[in-house]
Amino acid sequence: MHLPDGILPVSVLAAGYAATGAVTWYSMRRIGREEDPREGIPKASLLTAAFFVASLIHIPVPPTSVHLILNGLLGVVLGWYAFPAVLVGLFFQAVMFQHGGLTTLGVNAAVIGGPALLAYGIFRLRRLRPASRTLTGVLGFLGGAAGVGITVLLLFALLITTIPAELDAAAERTAIYALVLAHVPLMLIEGVFTAMVVLFLLRVRPELLGEKRRPPEVAVR
Amino acid sequence: MKTSLDGYSHLDSPLHRWEPRLKLIGLLALISAFAFVRELYLLPAMLAAALALLLLSRLPVRFVLRRLRYPGIFILALAVILPLFSGETVLLSAGPLALHQEGLLEFLVIAARFAAILAVGIVLFGTAPLLTNIRALRSLGLPSLLTDMMLFTYRYLHELATDLRAMQTAMRLRGFRAVKPDARSLGGLASLSGSLLVRSYERSEHVYRAMTLRGYGREPRAPEDRQITPRDTAALLCTLTAAAAFVAAEVAL
Repeated sequence: MHLPDGILPVSVLAAGYAATGAVTWYSMRRIGREEDPREGIPKASLLTAAFFVASLIHIPVPPTSVHLILNGLLGVVLGWYAFPAVLVGLFFQAVMFQHGGLTTLGVNAAVIGGPALLAYGIFRLRRLRPASRTLTGVLGFLGGAAGVGITVLLLFALLITTIPAELDAAAERTAIYALVLAHVPLMLIEGVFTAMVVLFLLRVRPELLGEKRRPPEVAVR
Repeated sequence: MKTSLDGYSHLDSPLHRWEPRLKLIGLLALISAFAFVRELYLLPAMLAAALALLLLSRLPVRFVLRRLRYPGIFILALAVILPLFSGETVLLSAGPLALHQEGLLEFLVIAARFAAILAVGIVLFGTAPLLTNIRALRSLGLPSLLTDMMLFTYRYLHELATDLRAMQTAMRLRGFRAVKPDARSLGGLASLSGSLLVRSYERSEHVYRAMTLRGYGREPRAPEDRQITPRDTAALLCTLTAAAAFVAAEVAL
């Protein structure tokens, strides 16, 4: 689901790198405000590796199977580390699997990492009613669906407006709508999946969702 | 998921010997210049330059081809779509299908750019250990947050992939089969992903404590960079000149 080298014109590539540079810089500033920014690095990196690996899990959708992008979930779990995490993950996909590319790294990171931050923003609405599992599930769904939905929208908009030289504007718009509509089932699956994982984490390890760590239970005799 | 990203970094070639920081600057400049190319006349020169680098690097042909295979699928799809649907001048037509000249030319440009950029990328990351390249990126000014994350992620990638495989096997042995995206399959796979996240999170806590004990967070010792020889600088100048030539030719033509 990322753009390989050689396809986009150089202006788009440069814009992608500029956007990615700006968002990375801003993310790093936000991370720097934390108490001990170094402490977050091993966590964010191992989770980045875990997300990289988890995106290899295939969801059966007969007659084929799809793999999830999980950028919504990544935003929810990693917060401001999400953007650097996407950048690092995409770098490795580009150099290890030639999936994506070095020149398109900026564009791809912006297209996948931007929606991840948006999902983080959506999920933070949880503060309104922190005790509600329903709200957590719904926000997880919205974050997951919006994450992949906006990524798909941006990708196709980029591809269709930049590649074929002569297609009229109306046809371009129709094509974008059609392609995005075709991905609605994927958005639903990704949304449901994200909600499920979020509820799982809430049950098992709420710290991963930014909750304070519960004091260890001490047996009183 | 075992991949040999830098499996041939031990070979000896002029590109292996090139100082890593200068190599990064030079080859990344060349890659950016290739992204500029749109003129048909420049394609042979661009492909020749990429091929020359590949030959000079002495990376095995099989290694290179294996890396081109996967992204090649995307390019093949374009090879079908572009000539058929883009453009006005019909070259050939068979029934409702017509081969368009503009689309075909567009495809040639994209495919050539793609191959050339990928080849240089493979040379760049195939001729030095990844750790060397990351250190070079750091000393060229990439923020330590990013380079630290790269090192950690790379370190645990294979381990977590092994974890995932073991967990998937365990699920299968207990009778889990995902055939359609129903609540049961999705629930199982969601718990699998969640467990993977929890495991990696818990492991990172141990790793962080162990690293703090070993002095992580203090100013690191400056890594000894390799001496830059006149030969390294000459190679950089050559590459930068070539990159500039491509951009200049593209603008002038």
